Amino acid sequence: MINLGLDIVTTAAILFVVAAGLLITYGVLKIINFAHGAFLTIGGYSALVATQWGISPWLAIPLALVIGVVLGAMVERLIVRPLYGRPLDAILATWGLGIVLVQLITLGFGRGTNFVQSPVQGALVLLDTQYSLYRLLMLGIAIGLGLVMAAVFQLTPLGLAARAVIMNETLAQSLGINSERVRFLTFSIGAGLAAVAGALITPLLSVDPLMGVPWLLNAFMLVMVSGTSLASLAAASLVLGGAQVAISTYSNPVLGSLSIVVLAAVVLRVRPSGFARA
Amino acid sequence: MAKTKNWSGILVAGALFAGSPAHAADPIKIGVPVGLSGANSVVAPSVVQAAQLAVEEINAKGGILGRQVALEIADDQSGADGAVKAFTSLILQQKVNAIISMETSAARNAGLPVVARSKTPFIYTSYYEGRSCSPNLYVDAWVPDQQVASIVDFFMKEKGAKTFFLAGSDYAFGRGMLDFTRKYITSKGGKVVGEEYLPMDASDWTPVISKIRNEKPDALISSTAGGAPNVTLTKQLRASGATVLFGNLGVDEGTAKSIGADATGVYIAQSYLTSIDNPANTAFKAALEKKFGADMKTPNDLSEPEYDGIYLYKAAVEKAGSVDPAKVLKALGEVSFDGPRGTVSMDKEHHAALTMYLGQVQADGSVKTIQKFPDVSPGNQCPNLK
Repeated sequence: MINLGLDIVTTAAILFVVAAGLLITYGVLKIINFAHGAFLTIGGYSALVATQWGISPWLAIPLALVIGVVLGAMVERLIVRPLYGRPLDAILATWGLGIVLVQLITLGFGRGTNFVQSPVQGALVLLDTQYSLYRLLMLGIAIGLGLVMAAVFQLTPLGLAARAVIMNETLAQSLGINSERVRFLTFSIGAGLAAVAGALITPLLSVDPLMGVPWLLNAFMLVMVSGTSLASLAAASLVLGGAQVAISTYSNPVLGSLSIVVLAAVVLRVRPSGFARA
Repeated sequence: MAKTKNWSGILVAGALFAGSPAHAADPIKIGVPVGLSGANSVVAPSVVQAAQLAVEEINAKGGILGRQVALEIADDQSGADGAVKAFTSLILQQKVNAIISMETSAARNAGLPVVARSKTPFIYTSYYEGRSCSPNLYVDAWVPDQQVASIVDFFMKEKGAKTFFLAGSDYAFGRGMLDFTRKYITSKGGKVVGEEYLPMDASDWTPVISKIRNEKPDALISSTAGGAPNVTLTKQLRASGATVLFGNLGVDEGTAKSIGADATGVYIAQSYLTSIDNPANTAFKAALEKKFGADMKTPNDLSEPEYDGIYLYKAAVEKAGSVDPAKVLKALGEVSFDGPRGTVSMDKEHHAALTMYLGQVQADGSVKTIQKFPDVSPGNQCPNLK
């Protein structure tokens, strides 16, 4: 029972970390960034490169962040910004970009599956059971990330501007907020977060060019049901991730892997605002 | 000098009129559809290396019936959709004379109808769940009848295991192997306390591992797709702190090595281990090292049979005297090859009797042989084929 509880919270933590970048991009730019999965894959390969260079696996995380932010900044400038007036085209463009990035990764690293070194090994004894230390670490990281993001939103000028743009972009502009800069920074940070998520999940799993695809799908559904609020995203990750773990454990894992997508669709049907308060 | 020239001119003219010797210039093409991407991508490079080595050796010694041999490698993406494309392109566009490859069972099953339509000889070089029967298909690797008993008997007799948990990938190999294993355990008086499957491409084993923890079995037996799923299962199981006796039906030595320290103590049963001590294996390993140097992949029970498979095809073509598919298919069941695994002959209803080894993975990634079982019969795989 303790194990099931831990499985649920750590799975929710992983989902939260993976979807956070997508959520802020959606909130501010009002487009779903379909290249999110590819940015995640790039984070996974950053961790692989760190392993190949023989540097500490901890450094894979800042490395992925830098690569993700720089790439996100370039993509925003060159691809997303010219399409601000045409949100549907922007979404299509990010989709195409995702395909191109995956192909470039395939060209550079081959199609094969790779494995990275984990920064921590083994299990922790906890409440008379043993549990994977790395998954517990992911829980801590997710909580930390959520708190930092909430603090940035609530306490910094960028956060204030971002909240204004999320609520009403035209009004924000008329108040002198440079929404273009807010969009630029948000997209870059969102891409950076995606890459960090990629670097964080790879020690549990494996790295291959298509690793981002299932995550993109789950992150997309989670963002759809949580709107633009971090708290709703945390709630959605816990409920839908919990359902996934429970169904996988008590029924079967094949059904479990479908649960997030199916339940998100049901939630949206019953309550169009999903987990958001509005 | 002038005289020699004249003679050769006449010879060439004669050859042109005769027709067939001119044909000798065309290479014999061998198609290798293999999982360069997807689950098998961890082992596929070693399979390709084994094929390249066999072809290089054969060509250096004059080829087959005087014709050189060429390889056509295609990615089957470790699955059914990719395999249909790979087989179709190899057979219809590249016009290969034979398909000789290690693949997932999903890919093999998808490729069989394509092979049947063109009557192309197909030598399957991967261990698998057994009882895949087609007049076009020969198998030079093991089936559960040859493998499962060695691990289960060892766990029950030597380790006193009574309860077993089975975990695998959700496709023909995973389910077929564990189906056989469950029946075998039950027939020996053991008990299967749980049986779980994950999709082939899944890499998060959390639910399966929690069930293993809840059931507290004496032993875990796994049968996943070759390559990546083995690595994720073993790593996550060790990270969870589980110390259960672990027998892996679907891991080869190369993959065990890439798992690293987490694979220590895992029991495997294979027909090929790098530590097999015979001159053919020593020569095989030396030749691989010479050809590929630092890029050499550890040869293993999924790659070595590829090497045997190409030599078995060579023997069959030489016996048949041509690459005519019907003649070659008949000869494939009659020839044998003395290779690193000893003498291999696919004379048992299109399958081969093999010497099996029970091994345990050591901390340095090598595999220690615990028991050797000579000439284990594959049993009745395809009673309707001769």
